[in-house]
Amino acid sequence: MAYSNWTLDTVQEAFDLEAIDTAGLFADSEPVAPSELLTAVLARNIPLALAIGTEKAKSEMIVANVLVELREHFEHRISLFSGIDFNVDAEADLTGVCDFVVSLSPIQFDLEAPIIILVEAKNDNLEIGLGQCVAEMIAAQRFNAEQENAIPCVYGATTSGTDWRFLKLEGKKLHIDMGVYHIVQCDKVLGILASMVKQKA
Amino acid sequence: MEYSNFRLETVRAEFQLEEVDTAGLFADSEPVAPSTHLTTALTRNVPLATAIGTEKAKSEMIVADVLIELREHFEHRISLFSGVDFNVDAEADLTGVCDFIVSLSPIQFGLEAPIIILVEAKNDNLEIGLGQCVAEMIAAQRFNAQKGNTIPCV
Repeated sequence: MAYSNWTLDTVQEAFDLEAIDTAGLFADSEPVAPSELLTAVLARNIPLALAIGTEKAKSEMIVANVLVELREHFEHRISLFSGIDFNVDAEADLTGVCDFVVSLSPIQFDLEAPIIILVEAKNDNLEIGLGQCVAEMIAAQRFNAEQENAIPCVYGATTSGTDWRFLKLEGKKLHIDMGVYHIVQCDKVLGILASMVKQKA
Repeated sequence: MEYSNFRLETVRAEFQLEEVDTAGLFADSEPVAPSTHLTTALTRNVPLATAIGTEKAKSEMIVADVLIELREHFEHRISLFSGVDFNVDAEADLTGVCDFIVSLSPIQFGLEAPIIILVEAKNDNLEIGLGQCVAEMIAAQRFNAQKGNTIPCV
């Protein structure tokens, strides 16, 4: 079984998670203004990606640009991965490909601990991606621990490109933000991602 | 079977294609200067995508940007599609998802004829993508003909 087979229910049960739904979990994150390039790129790409209407188009025309900007914002002190194999524990069904992984390590030629954010892109339905994203977050916790680089929280996001839902896993406590942020608030989306990188979210 | 199962040999045999290998087939095309945005994006993205080293990263950080620029260059008089189902003829195995399609129609909601360019992204090996791309080109020929909008070349 791979990450994509998990649902929110099965992953909660299998890993004994305590789910805590919170309104405004990341509401206090400081906005980060997008660069001129990102603003121009999104203005051009969002209508196109929505018209095409595939997960691939939204992923490459919106999500990838936001995450590349996050790496620029931190002046390459973090690393970004896209479409990589992330096989952590086959017996626990924690294997598969992750859409996007952000690590606090600056090393870009290989995934190193500590992994901080997992992002799953979905065409429409953010809820479909939740179980998958949480399974990846658990795998990241284990990966960080195995590499002796455990951090208190691992974060996640499921996104359709336009809508973003954010998650936080602290030990076995799974916080799910009940709110959804729209890419129109790009500064807020970037701000939340940046606060995750700073481990202040 | 679908596009990704075709190799150059199988697609050539199956559709009785005559292969003509030409050096410098597109050498006379006039260069088009990239916009400042594309130049900036590529300067930033190419080393990153290369370091990540997956087809997905190269596709989204390089190929998509180049093709979006093409659509901008033609001021949206052409349409661009990414990851769409393109099922043309199940009996001839011309079905599957295409990485990128460019159509001469300006309509962006729904793929319309005439399809002009098919782009297949591969991680390293361009030869692996050849058969798949050719199968998609044949499907595009048929699609254009079915829509009564045939063009001389795909």
